Amino acid sequence: MEVDNVFDPIDITISGLRAHGKQMEIISSNVANARTTDAGKGEPYRRLEAAFKSDGDMEGVKLDKILTDMSDFLKVFDPGNPHADEDGYVAMPNVNLPVEMMNLNIATRMYQANVAVLKRYQQMVETTLELLR
Amino acid sequence: MCIDIGKLQMSKTNNILDIIEAGIKAENIRQKAIANNIANLETPGYRRIDVEFEQLLAKCLNSAGVVDLSEVEPQIYRPKQTPVKSNGNDVNLEAEVGEMIKNTLRHKAYIRLLSKKYKQIELAIDVGGR
Repeated sequence: MEVDNVFDPIDITISGLRAHGKQMEIISSNVANARTTDAGKGEPYRRLEAAFKSDGDMEGVKLDKILTDMSDFLKVFDPGNPHADEDGYVAMPNVNLPVEMMNLNIATRMYQANVAVLKRYQQMVETTLELLR
Repeated sequence: MCIDIGKLQMSKTNNILDIIEAGIKAENIRQKAIANNIANLETPGYRRIDVEFEQLLAKCLNSAGVVDLSEVEPQIYRPKQTPVKSNGNDVNLEAEVGEMIKNTLRHKAYIRLLSKKYKQIELAIDVGGR
């Protein structure tokens, strides 16, 4: 019989918490830079996106890499802006706030779901330990 | 971390109370280490500490001959494996909370085993007195 580790579910949910906590960091970066017209390299801020990865069947999740969104920048007419081109247009970051808010909701719910699993599993182990009373 | 039950029975060294006591001691030290890590969550340059005990215990119980449990001291070490943040700190709150939950459950199990063992002894005394 294969012996399974009692604490594996805890490690897996913690990996979920860490991954979605990190995603929260990415979303906050996107929101904070939603109007950053100069992010170095001579172009506005490009939005970032999290890509999750699993190492195996029961290995939990981890943030594999942070991808940059290569979609086009929005041009806004703002002649007074120091970053405006000769026609008075400024390239704005490709951050779309409603999308970010949606991702924020999803990330929050994912975090909560992992906490729910963690709590429930903790209760389960404690029920087992009750047998030792 | 696999313990051969046969060997464990043969080594007449330790009564179960000693093993449980050593375990509880280790969990106490580990709890302190976790508290220390969480306290230093934002300390620049701080690397998290961990306590190694179960592996050492398993190694000792697997080795032939008499095991002196007082020699199996929990070791504090810095794993230096988790990714380092921009301020040179590698403590992650979620990971520490997970470690704390695991530690609490282990601690609970040891305490329950201990009380069970005491109940057995009590029972034997009761029967003897009758």
